[in-house]
Amino acid sequence: MKIYVCVKHVPDSAATITVVDAKAIDTGITFLVNPYDEHALTEAAMIAGQTDGAEVIAVCVGPPSAANTLRSALAMGSDRGILVSTEGETAGLPDSMATARALAAVITADGQPDLILTGKEGIDTEGMQTMFRLAQQLDMPAATNVTALELAGDHVLATCEKEPGTREVLQLTRPCVLAAGKGLNTPKYPTFPDIVKARKKTINTITWEQLDMVPAAGGIEIEHLEPADEARRPKALEGDAASVAAELVRILREEAKVL
Amino acid sequence: MSKQYDAIIIGAGIIGAPIAYELTRMGYKTLSVDKLADAGEGSTAGSCAIVRAHYSTEDGVAMAYEGFKYWLDWENYLDHVEDEKGLAKYMNTGSLLIKSQGHKWRDVQKHYDAVGVQYEEWDNDKILKEIPVLDLHEFWPVKRPEDPTFFDEPSKMLEGGIFCPEGGYVNDPTLSTHNVMRAAEAKGAEFQFNAEVAKIRSADGKVQGITLTDGTEIDAPVVVNCAGPHSFKINQLAEGVWEGCNIKTKALRHEVMYCPAPEGYDYLNDGYHQSDGDIGCYVRPEVGNLYLIGSEDPDCDPQEWVDPDEFYAGKGGHGRDNQLTDEQWKAQCYRLGRRVPTLQVPNQPNGVVDLYDCSDDWIPVYDKSDLGGFYMAIGTSGNQYKNAPVVGRMMAELIDACEKGLDHDAEPFQYKMKYTGRMVDVGFYSRRREINYNSSFSVNG
Repeated sequence: MKIYVCVKHVPDSAATITVVDAKAIDTGITFLVNPYDEHALTEAAMIAGQTDGAEVIAVCVGPPSAANTLRSALAMGSDRGILVSTEGETAGLPDSMATARALAAVITADGQPDLILTGKEGIDTEGMQTMFRLAQQLDMPAATNVTALELAGDHVLATCEKEPGTREVLQLTRPCVLAAGKGLNTPKYPTFPDIVKARKKTINTITWEQLDMVPAAGGIEIEHLEPADEARRPKALEGDAASVAAELVRILREEAKVL
Repeated sequence: MSKQYDAIIIGAGIIGAPIAYELTRMGYKTLSVDKLADAGEGSTAGSCAIVRAHYSTEDGVAMAYEGFKYWLDWENYLDHVEDEKGLAKYMNTGSLLIKSQGHKWRDVQKHYDAVGVQYEEWDNDKILKEIPVLDLHEFWPVKRPEDPTFFDEPSKMLEGGIFCPEGGYVNDPTLSTHNVMRAAEAKGAEFQFNAEVAKIRSADGKVQGITLTDGTEIDAPVVVNCAGPHSFKINQLAEGVWEGCNIKTKALRHEVMYCPAPEGYDYLNDGYHQSDGDIGCYVRPEVGNLYLIGSEDPDCDPQEWVDPDEFYAGKGGHGRDNQLTDEQWKAQCYRLGRRVPTLQVPNQPNGVVDLYDCSDDWIPVYDKSDLGGFYMAIGTSGNQYKNAPVVGRMMAELIDACEKGLDHDAEPFQYKMKYTGRMVDVGFYSRRREINYNSSFSVNG
């Protein structure tokens, strides 16, 4: 059994993001495994641990520095990694169409997947497109925001969180693409012995030119990027406890619209 | 007309607030000014607030042991003041000093004997009985994960440790400072926040007062620099003060990490404060069953001396600003991961980045200055939180003695500690001292 886990190399959500030339972010910050992908990696390692002869392969499309992110994936239980290096790509980072084609090409060239796991979205672009495009490229069914999954013969039963308050159980034929939601598991982070083992595992780097793929007919480019205004505007509520509580409820209901 | 006080204290952190409190109790009309919005919100907020007795000098051990008595008697110290935010809590976990090449632990043991600090010697079996998650191999010397030998298999074992049943941490350093502020206010002290000092005015070799950035002038014959990482900037504003210090201070960037305890190990309730020079780390429990992992400044780690204003504004770039770095996250967590092999290390760094107000020899300057009426409680080097109540009383008595005519440079003030009764030669902390090479030159002090 081969389980491929697609891992994205994303900025640390706690980092201070600086926009450069209105086109890209300053990359001199910490990058790491996309948090949703940690659930996919944990699930893959758990399934592999229960299946004789199973192999988990982490795949990433990104710059050479994304090897560190793949090394984290290996420490979380993947057996080996494949990095599709975007080094030298003049058009900037690939969009979801190009990424999906690259992932499909590299997975097809590597082996026969029984299962492909991803996170439900990348926390940087929040596009939620790549996994569906990957499934389309490979002619596989797909389900997203998976919070439980069970292998059943040639099928997978996937529980997916839908709109608030509902969840559905889907039966998908295998191989399929499943995108992990937060509820799937608690990520199992590596211990020092896991980190030592990961140092000895292989990461195979493939250049963009080495991929056997037909470029997408269309594409998306960032026309303009600007930082979102996240300035905090603290406001002190004054008065007795009852009036402060009433005003707080009014603000939450009428201004923040969260109640 | 400018406002008049007997003493102005610059900085309302854990050093400045107790000085204001004690001066007020001695009858001084004090005003504390701080550029931030409340007490203890500067580098105090980033303190690990550890209370332990081991220091590299006997005087250091003595002061820490004295400080411990204050934390045990916190409500009494505050004269039972009410703080609407509640009182900070001292968590007495006990403190284990690992015997290693990274600490002069034999000297520490000698100082414990001299001062009367309670301790037990634990062999490796006893340590493992108390802390079963540990691997007691020796990993010395401390290295970084970028060094391939970091991952070498160890062969030797450690030699045990020294356990002090008295030791632990304060659960909220900011709150503890707020408590002291409320206690000081109850005695008549005043605090002014969002107040940044622009000038320190003087005439005829005597300080006259301060001017704030909004132009407000406040007069006092005594001004005390407790500005933490900004201490060197404040000294530079005061005529002749910076030049008169043989020991200087500057701001050192430091990262502290939070990492979840191993599954099944209740570190929060069962764990100890642990100082481990063999891996260059100290740890204590944190809410959420986390390990708080501090660095003991091993030689292999880079030291980033920064401008405090740029740092707090998030400027300076990778490794110089107030963001955790992946490199240091891995360095500190992997080092602890060697000692605690079941520790899970998340991919995303989690912790605190703040500044030490660091002196040339990592020992504080508690002293007068070359400007009459201007005093300094600076260079606390990441290790004086625990001593703050003692420093408050000692500085207040030093200031009072000098204002009454003592020539502290010629005849250093002798301070009698309240609980242990030991005398402290305050000249030990002189600005004019030569660098003290007995110091650990680290956060250990």
